[in-house]
Amino acid sequence: MEFALLAWKNLWRNRRRTLITLAAIAFSIMLMQAAHNLAMGIYASMVDHGVRAGSGHIAVYLEDYPRSRDESLAFAPGSLIDEIQDLPEVARALPRIYLPALAQSSRESRGILLTGVAPLAERTANPFLKHLLPGKMIRSSQSNDAVLGCRLLDELKITDGNKLVITLQNRQGDLVSELFRVRGSLKTGIRELDSSLIIVGLEKASAIAGMSGKIHELAVILESADDEQTALPAINRLLRDKAPRAVSWEEAMPNLADAIKLDYAGQKFIFLVITLIVTIGVVNTLLMSVMERIREFGVMLAIGASPAQLRRLILTEALMLALAGIAVGTLLGSLITWYLVHYGIDLSRMMPESMEFGGVVFDPILRATWDFTWMARICLYLTLLTVAAALYPAHKAARIAPAAAMRKH
Amino acid sequence: MPLIELAKIGKIYPVGNQQVTALADLNLRFEQGEFTVLAGPSGSGKTTVLNLIGGLDQPTSGSVVIAGRSTGKSSPAELAEFRLNHIGFVFQSYNLIPVLSAAENVEFPLMLQRLPKTERRRRISTLFQQLSIAGLENRKPNDLSGGQQQRVAVARAIATRPTVVLADEPTANLDSQTAADLLTLMRQLNATENTTFIFSSHDPQVINCARRVITLKDGRLQSDMQQTP
Ligand SMILES: Nc1ncnc2c1ncn2[C@@H]1O[C@H](COP(=O)(O)OP(=O)(O)O)[C@@H](O)[C@H]1O
Ligand SMILES: [Mg+2]
Repeated sequence: MEFALLAWKNLWRNRRRTLITLAAIAFSIMLMQAAHNLAMGIYASMVDHGVRAGSGHIAVYLEDYPRSRDESLAFAPGSLIDEIQDLPEVARALPRIYLPALAQSSRESRGILLTGVAPLAERTANPFLKHLLPGKMIRSSQSNDAVLGCRLLDELKITDGNKLVITLQNRQGDLVSELFRVRGSLKTGIRELDSSLIIVGLEKASAIAGMSGKIHELAVILESADDEQTALPAINRLLRDKAPRAVSWEEAMPNLADAIKLDYAGQKFIFLVITLIVTIGVVNTLLMSVMERIREFGVMLAIGASPAQLRRLILTEALMLALAGIAVGTLLGSLITWYLVHYGIDLSRMMPESMEFGGVVFDPILRATWDFTWMARICLYLTLLTVAAALYPAHKAARIAPAAAMRKH
Repeated sequence: MPLIELAKIGKIYPVGNQQVTALADLNLRFEQGEFTVLAGPSGSGKTTVLNLIGGLDQPTSGSVVIAGRSTGKSSPAELAEFRLNHIGFVFQSYNLIPVLSAAENVEFPLMLQRLPKTERRRRISTLFQQLSIAGLENRKPNDLSGGQQQRVAVARAIATRPTVVLADEPTANLDSQTAADLLTLMRQLNATENTTFIFSSHDPQVINCARRVITLKDGRLQSDMQQTP
């Protein structure tokens, strides 16, 4: 027999109480792991959607363009697009122009954001363009084809195939107009975009605005969001002696980043409360079990155990309780995560409207991702907390006066 | 030099804002190999004396010196070490650890002494034979009779080869035949191993088999006599 065995046997003296405490630890671990993994999955899909529809995982800008949106902050990409595209982490580098303009149909006019894109490359990366039928996409960068936000199409009272005139101020300060034909429309689910977005070919837009090949944004889509750590410095190295700077999506899309941070902060607070409640439960269980055994501890002291050994016994019991609860909890948490990774939660039937969060629309099927590091970390935290919770009961056991303890019944 | 010396012992317990004098001006000496009983009515201070000798409690005044060292000058950890290696306790209500089997109860102090497993096994099997409880090794205390439990408790007390065994009314919960068997056993151990035994009891059967009878009354020494059992 060893000390650990005695601790284990002691744990099962009050089987029901131990099981309840163990269940509380297991349940909280399960809940936190599943909730965290689900949140990480949702955030990842939101970020993925957001960066693909928006400014990429990494965006290259001149000066403070993301904040000021000053049209004069344009740069000539030169060989940069190819150089960035050649980086192993990079899937796509998408050049873009953004121009405020006026759109007129035969019946209505609206202020819009004219977005010039490289149609072929953009279609492969942007989730909204991806879903356009083949005949509805802009045919080439120089064409007069346009894709409109669905609300804008309604507001201008036109449909596919109709014409519209776009008027804007070119770089030289002159008002210029150009006729476009509607090829298709897209629905992002974001009201503001859907009622102001017009996508046209990059070269066409550049020509109208007299930008002579300069662009406002180079959106970089990575193979995997996890590559950001290595891709960002690599891109900045390519930009070393050039004017533009690369920024992460968190900086380029602060709304989305903040929305995620805020949401996760709320979740963290709930985790903290859960952990606190579990810890109180553990203290209660251990303290009760120590109080019930005062006499027995007196006997153990009498037959030669030292106060330090009693302290160690209680701490070992707590550690075993924590490990058992954590093992069960991690098993359940993993099962739930597995289910959520493979099947997810389908919200499309519950809410037919698309869901917007931080200015980004996300998938109606919520899926989890595995965050093993975090799962291990929460296990470690709960173990440390349980052992910390045992310190006071252990201290109490170590301070027992043996003669007085043995007079107790 | 005596094995144990209690000099000018006083023990006062605070009870509320009153003080209960458990022992007063008590002087006692015990030699190696004694087989002694502390007699006296309930409340006369027998348990208190045993607790003081075992270092479970400290006197309010006076000193307890065992094998040249004073229990009052030791830290709790040193006292634990001292009890582990020099004292064997037997209690009136057996006080076995309920979650451990009979053998594990005996093994517990041996584990604390860090004896190797084979040596622990050897001692346990010898003791279970000697105390006629062989075959009961894997029983839990609750599945043993009072007499069997007390034998296991004696085995636990002597397994560590202590200098002195302190037994507080060890037969009080046993029927007279079981009590007589247990006494015979302890007398044998005293004779063969030269282990010092100090009992407390008010049972004439126990008192009669001791070689020395110390009688306490109201925490004071009433008589201290040698006798032939
Ligand atoms: N922890 C204590 N608190 C208060 N009084 C105590 C305590 N322990 C013993 N006493 C008192 O000390 C006296 C001696 O007790 P004890 O040594 O148990 O006697 P005995 O073992 O002979 O019955 C009794 O009056 C008892 O009530
Ligand atoms: Mg007593």
